[in-house]
Amino acid sequence: MQKYVIRRLLLAVPVLLLSSLIVFGLMRVMPGDALIALMGESGNVGEKELAKLRKDLGLDRPYYQQYLLWCWQMVSLRPGDSIFTNEPIAVSLRKAIPVTLELAALAMIIGLVIAVPVGVLSATRQDKPSDYAGRVVAVAGLSIPDFWLATLVITFSAIWVHWIPPIGYVSFWDSPWRNLQQFLLPAAVLGYRLSAATMRMTRSTVLETLREDYVRTAWAKGLAGRIVVYKHALKNALIPVVTIIGGQLGTLLAGTFVVEQIFALPGMGRLTVEAILYRDYPVVQTNVMLVAATLVTLNLLVDLTYAWLDPRIRYR
Amino acid sequence: MATVPLHVPLDDPAIAGINRAQALWRTMRKKPLGAFSAALLVVIVLMAIFADVLAPYDPLATQPEIRLSAPSRAHPFGTDDIGRDVLSRIIYGARISLWVGLLAVGIGTAAGMVIGLLCGYCEGRLDLIVQRVMDAIQAIPGLVLALAIVSVLKPNTTNAMLAIAMVIIPGNSRIVRGAVLSAKQNRYVEAAQAMGCRHPRIILTHILPNVTAPILVIASIWLGNAILIEATLSFLGVGTQPPTPSWGLMLSSTGRAFMEQAPWLAVFPGLAISLAVLGFNLFGDTLRDAWDPKLRRSG
Repeated sequence: MQKYVIRRLLLAVPVLLLSSLIVFGLMRVMPGDALIALMGESGNVGEKELAKLRKDLGLDRPYYQQYLLWCWQMVSLRPGDSIFTNEPIAVSLRKAIPVTLELAALAMIIGLVIAVPVGVLSATRQDKPSDYAGRVVAVAGLSIPDFWLATLVITFSAIWVHWIPPIGYVSFWDSPWRNLQQFLLPAAVLGYRLSAATMRMTRSTVLETLREDYVRTAWAKGLAGRIVVYKHALKNALIPVVTIIGGQLGTLLAGTFVVEQIFALPGMGRLTVEAILYRDYPVVQTNVMLVAATLVTLNLLVDLTYAWLDPRIRYR
Repeated sequence: MATVPLHVPLDDPAIAGINRAQALWRTMRKKPLGAFSAALLVVIVLMAIFADVLAPYDPLATQPEIRLSAPSRAHPFGTDDIGRDVLSRIIYGARISLWVGLLAVGIGTAAGMVIGLLCGYCEGRLDLIVQRVMDAIQAIPGLVLALAIVSVLKPNTTNAMLAIAMVIIPGNSRIVRGAVLSAKQNRYVEAAQAMGCRHPRIILTHILPNVTAPILVIASIWLGNAILIEATLSFLGVGTQPPTPSWGLMLSSTGRAFMEQAPWLAVFPGLAISLAVLGFNLFGDTLRDAWDPKLRRSG
């Protein structure tokens, strides 16, 4: 097992290095830079000031030096300042990460509350009307764009119940009720989309597990249907579902931009995409690397868990 | 439809020994959702091909005097803020969505297939290095990667398509690589190698036919996702540019701005995106059930 862990860790390092090179390269070949975007906001600035600003920000150095400096900043956990707002990136992240984590956690809870019971119901009543209904709901969740659903939810709640979530982010510790009001609708929109994939996976693994010998034995023992399904079958069927949920966390860290934008939530996705549009290199690079490192770590943990559960994997 | 022998579980006598078209037909007859998705796709494809004939008005023609008109007999989906017919724009929008989807998935699938075939067949150092590059691309969230690529290339439909293709390549290459590794275990591949067949011949005639089923299934599922990503990029203003009719752009430019005043501007383009993606997702499921039941867990 030790050898396997070391091998996997060694493989994760080049992946992160390559990701960093891709992100760095993409940001450098983008037409226009942060200073030009900044000038667009603040008016005319002379060539001299521009050159001085470039020097101050280290943008006049050769690319390899800029890359190595950035790598060092990442390793030493001092990602520098935003070119656009001058705010230290660590401070921006400290503000944005809790928003995204709260949104992701709520969305996941809502997604699981919908997905697992519907998936089990669909599997236990295979090819019955309730199964078809559950599957259509799940495929619809995968097909409806979240920005459309979010727009409809916010508009129709305003028209029909004359209520919109309060604008201006408030943290849970300052005002739990106001905070929940702000997060409920976006989390429901994201949760519904997440539930679709989880529901499909739950249905398919429960169906497989229900055909296993030990489940047949449980039925033969005369156990109640609920106990057979929820205690015996579901427990084992949930292992691949957990893998899917792990992958969804990665998606939620940066894939929630549109929903964050529509509901005016200052999370990681919004921070990253706005930084891309303003060519704010340090912010984009740091955020994307943070997400990439989280994804690589999550994948590594999933693989290690599988290797721990199934010894055959270690010897491959 | 090709009549290459199926990659089917041999323990299932019901479908073993039949060709792909027959397997698909059988699955669609057994599963009404499959037939529904096929019908939905036929409608969308016909809409895109015959947009010139089907659209009641020019999608770019403005009539400010009837701006923001509610749905009526003359304009079944209403008109937008400068008096353009929403139905005509949705019919033409199908062209953009299908065009972007098909080309992005075509490029992504072809590139993913070549990479997967080479990695799976050669293995060793090449496989190790290329797969790490694929891992690195996959570690960057798809939408962020697509957004960054479009920003590098200049926002327009073609570049959005290329960006989506880049997002598709790593996943596809992995699936093809896995299928190649499994196909390589077959005795007839060993026999071909022992007979001294050249590598390109082994890859093209013995391995490729075995990996086309998973490729086609994954491509059909990706088509829906590609349409969704294009709509999201257009919604963010970095995909298709105005005045070209695109479903995502229609939602972001007028749909959101006039949502309370003219909800049809957001409802109909959103419905169009959802139905197209739903059609591809359901059809992908049907193809998977018919051609490659082994992939069921990955969907």
